[in-house]
Amino acid sequence: MALDRRLDVLAVCGVGMGSSLMLKMTAEDALSALGVDARVENTDVSTARGMTADVIIGQGMHTGEIADLAPIVITISDFLDKEGLEEQLRVALSEKGWLV
Amino acid sequence: MTEVGARDAVVAADWRAAVREAAVALVELGVAGPDYPDACVKVVEQNGPYIVLTKGLALVHARPEDGGLGVGVAVTRLATPVEFGHRDNDPVDLLLAFCTPGPDAHVASLSRLARALSGGLADRLRAAADHDALAGELKGALPDA
Repeated sequence: MALDRRLDVLAVCGVGMGSSLMLKMTAEDALSALGVDARVENTDVSTARGMTADVIIGQGMHTGEIADLAPIVITISDFLDKEGLEEQLRVALSEKGWLV
Repeated sequence: MTEVGARDAVVAADWRAAVREAAVALVELGVAGPDYPDACVKVVEQNGPYIVLTKGLALVHARPEDGGLGVGVAVTRLATPVEFGHRDNDPVDLLLAFCTPGPDAHVASLSRLARALSGGLADRLRAAADHDALAGELKGALPDA
């Protein structure tokens, strides 16, 4: 079933200020290329533990700790690879039926 | 106002030395306090080498309370690349260090930096002929600097 509201996305890193901000920019570009209405926030991994989201994106060393917080958890190794993230999002959102 | 700095052909024996050297550039600019370089090393010790954002490039930083006095960004080009222990993005030859006095002061500059990196800034920094060209490329990416 298609999501009838804005997609909530969380970009995480260790400190929540630098790398995750870069990742947020990459994610916003990728989601807009997919035509998805989304709100992307960036934060550190400990703050993320108290939050919920539809999608969490981060490096493996962080997403492993918070894998149960969101229905979609995407692990990336390159924070600037927009095309790679777009493809991962396309696959994951399609599986949930959230991509129309 | 974002202060911009550059250091070229920096010799670092390992990632700790490289991170420290990159952060010292911010201390020299007057935008970070003397404890900032060690705090940047601690961030990696505590959180892992995730600051290696993409192939060969590390984003060095600590928290505002670790000595961020102003907003600054400095590029450091290493004489010899170092290993951070990152599964995909090692070895690192380019470090971008930043500091900020508060949780939001750096957002505009860093967003601009992210856009520039998507637009090939890292390759232009690697190709810069000398220190002045290196500093010039980074300044060009941060127009308010």
